Amino acid sequence: MYELENINIEGQVVTFIPFGDIVGYLTPYTAILFIFAAVFTIIALISKPEKQVDIAFGGDAYYTKNVSVKQMRFQRFMAAACGLATMGGVLSGDVFNFTLFTAMVGITNIGIVASIKNRHILDNAYEYGILAMVGTLPLFAGAAIIVATTGTLSMWILFTPLVTVPLVAKLLLVIGVLAEGMAPVYVAKAEITRAPGAPFILMVHVSSLVLFLRVIEIVISM
Amino acid sequence: MSIIRKVSKILQNQNNLVRVYSLLVIFVIIIGIATLPLISYNENQLYPKSVDMKSPLNPYDRGGEPFEKAEVKAQYPENSRYLGYVTAYLTPFSLFISYNTLYAGTTIVSHPGGIIDEILYNTRGLDTIIETSILFIAFAIAMFLFRRNEKE
Repeated sequence: MYELENINIEGQVVTFIPFGDIVGYLTPYTAILFIFAAVFTIIALISKPEKQVDIAFGGDAYYTKNVSVKQMRFQRFMAAACGLATMGGVLSGDVFNFTLFTAMVGITNIGIVASIKNRHILDNAYEYGILAMVGTLPLFAGAAIIVATTGTLSMWILFTPLVTVPLVAKLLLVIGVLAEGMAPVYVAKAEITRAPGAPFILMVHVSSLVLFLRVIEIVISM
Repeated sequence: MSIIRKVSKILQNQNNLVRVYSLLVIFVIIIGIATLPLISYNENQLYPKSVDMKSPLNPYDRGGEPFEKAEVKAQYPENSRYLGYVTAYLTPFSLFISYNTLYAGTTIVSHPGGIIDEILYNTRGLDTIIETSILFIAFAIAMFLFRRNEKE
């Protein structure tokens, strides 16, 4: 019923899910991304948080870091929401819908990082929060330019060779996703992976990786 | 200092990343302004918007008579078979307002039983759901951070 005309990049549609005008789909390419995100969401859901031990050199003393149930619960919720938003972004067949899922990934990433009570990490979460909020400007501006110049938002029509999407809209979309997916930079810089509650941090990396791969596919196909 | 050292000195401090990113956004927007003559507005819009100053539902008027099917454009009409049936419906109270004044369109649309925009709630309903989910997640984060120091 629905078919992609250009199948060089991602192959033909395997399945589609219609929600009114928003018709989500899976191709072999996006199906791999979807399964990848789903597996890591399940890992985040069933795993217990890591409790690190710091050993003081030159003695027998060591510190154990504690993770409260409250914090673990919140991080697990945010990790699950992040995974669902990532899967939604992969599944989406509509540009505006995709930008919304991307913005949701950005918000949940802030939530995962901000739940750790450490001054250094919270400073970085604040910086990332500003970046994610600035990033929504090019993200939604890209979608707005696409709808103004082509008159539609559906990827099924935008991917056909008849419709030309302006270069600046593609650039805006890419740098918008770049800002939302910048969280791993902060995670690495602030050494958040060493903070308590490590498995949930995984979702930050997974979501940004998957979203980058998806936005590149969208921009090349348009 | 070589150029690579200069660049990495800026990039190694995560507090500079917002500035670097903002410069990138400005750069892309300048490209956008430079290529503006090549971009033209497409008149054949899927979600048209027009303002009719004579209508009491202005600027949210989507057309149609109550209890009759209104013309609402959709990309895939086969996916929303009941499109157009509720967009013109008004409660008796909002119908009363619309008969008496031309300037209460926002009041009508923002109270329960006012205009139900079918582009928002039918053809693009998934978008509306995600928008509210984003809002709820933001509330959840704010709530968690605000109440974190409370003793259980």
